Amino acid sequence: MASSHTRARRTGFTALLALCLGVTLAFLAIPIVALFVEVPLGDVPDLLRDPAVRDALEVTARTNAIANFVILAFGTPAAYFLATRRFPGRALVITLIELPLVLPPAVAGIGLLAAFGAGGLFGDELAGSGIVLPFTEWAVVLAVTFVASPFYVRQAISAFESVDGTLTDAARTLGAGPSRTFLRVALPLAAGGLVAGWVLAFARGIGEFGATIVFAGNVRGETQTVTLAIYEQLESNFDIALAISILLVVLSGTILLSYKLLSSWRRSSSTSPSLFAHTGSSSA
Amino acid sequence: MNPRHRFRPAALTAALLTILTVAVPAAAQAAPTVYAAASLRESFPEIDRRPTYNFAGSNQLQLQIERGAPADVFASASPTEAQALFRAGRCTRPVTFATNLLVLLVPNANPGNVRSVYSLRSGGRRLAVGSPGVPIGAYTRRLLSRLRLTSILRTNRVSNESNVAGVVSKVALGSADAGFTYVTDGRIAADRVNSIRIPRWAQPPVRYQICAVRRPGADTAGARAFIARVRATRGRQILRRAGFGLPPRG
Repeated sequence: MASSHTRARRTGFTALLALCLGVTLAFLAIPIVALFVEVPLGDVPDLLRDPAVRDALEVTARTNAIANFVILAFGTPAAYFLATRRFPGRALVITLIELPLVLPPAVAGIGLLAAFGAGGLFGDELAGSGIVLPFTEWAVVLAVTFVASPFYVRQAISAFESVDGTLTDAARTLGAGPSRTFLRVALPLAAGGLVAGWVLAFARGIGEFGATIVFAGNVRGETQTVTLAIYEQLESNFDIALAISILLVVLSGTILLSYKLLSSWRRSSSTSPSLFAHTGSSSA
Repeated sequence: MNPRHRFRPAALTAALLTILTVAVPAAAQAAPTVYAAASLRESFPEIDRRPTYNFAGSNQLQLQIERGAPADVFASASPTEAQALFRAGRCTRPVTFATNLLVLLVPNANPGNVRSVYSLRSGGRRLAVGSPGVPIGAYTRRLLSRLRLTSILRTNRVSNESNVAGVVSKVALGSADAGFTYVTDGRIAADRVNSIRIPRWAQPPVRYQICAVRRPGADTAGARAFIARVRATRGRQILRRAGFGLPPRG
């Protein structure tokens, strides 16, 4: 009697969980499905051939390529430094680097405007040397770099931290200099985590909207990225806005999938510390 | 074991329900919801501060109302949007309640050294304009074609803003060297921008129209009362002080 009571309660609880899952799933999936239902999929390629869309795609590709290069070039050594050195204020530095993750993008845009805009902190100096950022592709690059870099640096720090210390130590003992150890040992071992972090940063950069529209403006062929194009086409040609959205859903889905594949590949292929240390207690 | 333990799912559900109930907005107050052109963002609240306002580009608001947004009053910066809603049976016959003029705004410091609209002919400056779909954008393009200056939209670096407030802020923050707005916007941001007048002969007629939205559950009485306030003596005074022109009383 009592056990059937317990079982009934357990089934009831499972049903409640399943119900909540169903609600969550439906709520998250319906808008995505609706995008594909609203416009005939056959029309999408034609709609994407609109010159405004092509301009926006080109701007997005160019600006994100530069931004991602900057993020990787500066973020990787910075993350390695933070992962391998302990110094006072390290936690504060990491918090500062992570702040743009949680900062509303519009705030990021206003911050960039206050720093590099005309009349901003460095605006006059920049203008004096002939550099005017607003309404140029460089403004988009700055906005994308600002909002996307924390995604990479954060992940890169933990990727470098999870590199087995005994391996880098061994490299040093065998006579490799610190830069050689970084390039030949730490970097290849952390590669999976670095790529995973870069994928996240890339996705965030493609989706960037708020900081760009505030800081860079909406100049076709210069600062109008795909997300800004969606915003503008929403008022003139809803179908084009939908077509770009579908393109971005596909792109985001691909990014997420590759991130998941990378993560599982990383887990299965990463060097296990137990190969070298029986206790397997090396810091995580 | 704590005997209360078994009630946890129930307690959790209750807590969730409570949060939901609290989070649902309180029942609508007895004031209409007014969707109005961005250029009315200062004057309308001064005329009546009770309504819930939604200021944006008129075309954007028209789109929202067509998609069933809970508006009671619609005030657009050009007849196009209000008349389209009227023809679709979505609002009462629109009436003209104000007029406006276009100006060229420049930041106080005037880094682009813009002295008149004709300064823009030399090109290479950063220009903020309304996008073609929004009234200020359509008016700007009409103005430029009358001035035979449409080429400046190609020779300068042009940012298309979704409503006139966006144009004003791009100029006020110095992102743009100049921007086309209404004379009333120049007054709103007078501490940061200067307005350069544009010859009368080139001005397109800028007419603001207002109507009561027709939809199930609309606050028609509240809407009519609001429209009456805008067109009454006090409303007209406030609009005139803000720099709007007024149609003859009727």
